[in-house]
Amino acid sequence: MQPAITVSRLEKKFGKHDIFSDISFDAKEGDVVAIFGPNGCGKSTILNILSGIVKSDGGQFNIHGSDFSRFSYIFQNYRESLLPWRTNYENLTFPLELRGWKKQERMKRIGEIVKIFGISINMKLYPYEMSGGQQQMLAFARALVNNPRILFMDEPFSALDYETNIILRQKLQNYCIRFRPTTIIITHDIEEAVHLANKVIILSKKPAKIIDTILNPATYPRSIDFLKTDVFHKIKDKVLTAFQEGADL
Amino acid sequence: MRKYAVTGPIILFALWFTVSLSGIVSSFFLPDPISTMRILTGLIAGGIIIPDTFATLGRVAIAFLVSLIIGLPAGLVLGSSSKIYESLEFVIDFFRSIPATAMFPLFLLLFGINDNSKIAVAAFASVLIVIFNTAYGVRHSKKSRAFAAKLMGASRIQIFRMVYFWESLPQTFVGIRTAVSLSLVIIIVTEMFIGTTTGLGRLIIDFQYTYNIPAMYAIILLTGAIGYLINLIFILAERKFVHWTGKF
Repeated sequence: MQPAITVSRLEKKFGKHDIFSDISFDAKEGDVVAIFGPNGCGKSTILNILSGIVKSDGGQFNIHGSDFSRFSYIFQNYRESLLPWRTNYENLTFPLELRGWKKQERMKRIGEIVKIFGISINMKLYPYEMSGGQQQMLAFARALVNNPRILFMDEPFSALDYETNIILRQKLQNYCIRFRPTTIIITHDIEEAVHLANKVIILSKKPAKIIDTILNPATYPRSIDFLKTDVFHKIKDKVLTAFQEGADL
Repeated sequence: MRKYAVTGPIILFALWFTVSLSGIVSSFFLPDPISTMRILTGLIAGGIIIPDTFATLGRVAIAFLVSLIIGLPAGLVLGSSSKIYESLEFVIDFFRSIPATAMFPLFLLLFGINDNSKIAVAAFASVLIVIFNTAYGVRHSKKSRAFAAKLMGASRIQIFRMVYFWESLPQTFVGIRTAVSLSLVIIIVTEMFIGTTTGLGRLIIDFQYTYNIPAMYAIILLTGAIGYLINLIFILAERKFVHWTGKF
């Protein structure tokens, strides 16, 4: 199968110093790839380069057959991507409005996404009237409303309590099973990376390089019980070993 | 209403009352607050000052509307383009630094001794305030929402209309409130010194010329009350339209 995303020898500098270099990987359609590494190793910068926000200083990447209408990005700071002057419902419809969807079509699509994602938030409220977990849920749902073929997530669970974190992971898996978007998740949490990804890329500290790429063949959905299995712990240990090597621990 | 909101006005009136009764200042120059209020209610009840009040408010409204119509779009354009902002920053700061009163003679030459010159001076000062604050609001808005919209496929115009406009609104409202207060101040001043037969500024100066000092104080109080009420209306509008400020 042709990869949906190919990244080849990607490089980024800050002044004369390398942030990262020689970053190469690919993701097939429907893959969930986690990029895991220490703080400051440029994980978010990789996503920002792939999404066109930041320019690289070398290397190439290709996102095959994708356009912005089928692409979504969930930012680490979800609060700063939600629009506080719009109600929750209007936030959800925002990506559809940008593409000129009619009111009836928008209502229908929001109904579908609420059902698929199991959102239980008051659509008439404004984002600032909700808890952090509900805001994150809204940001998630908004990212999926256009049924993206490419989904980027930058530490999407970092601000959440463990329970909400687990709930969102389950919902994301259900969505991925059904719609198979090619997904890249940036995370600093090994459990999250191994729980969700079928490929974990481990970066070293700055100047970052890929230390190892570890595959996780376990099939979706991976329930909370999966986190207690030997398979999970073996993969997690491999990731941790690679991380130790790269972080000089 | 907030618990201590009336404390300041009570202290002010008590101080005024004490000073006027103590005789430190002649009652001719500073009548006591009760007789001043009595004169004010008499002027309002008699309907004498109603046409003047409406004349002043009408001029303020036109000057303010002109400043919004020109200032809002200009501020949005200016704020969204670094090149345009850098090109015009000096010009705006320069004109903003000129006291509006210094422009009276020029506007008299341009518009003549009539309402147009008064409105033009007030609009000139207010429009610069609206432009500056709106542009500042756009320039200093968080870029993350614009980025998010861009990644969702928003065009430049959509980002401008659906993100930057709203992001700048809290700062724009600061400009709007300052502009309307400034319009009132300048209109009152121009009514005093540029020939007119109506307006609260004209009344203040007429009462001063005729040594009707209590009535002069009454009109000053009235203009203060009008300024306060206008500001209050805009604060309430701000709470409604910029409901997310300080909450997100």
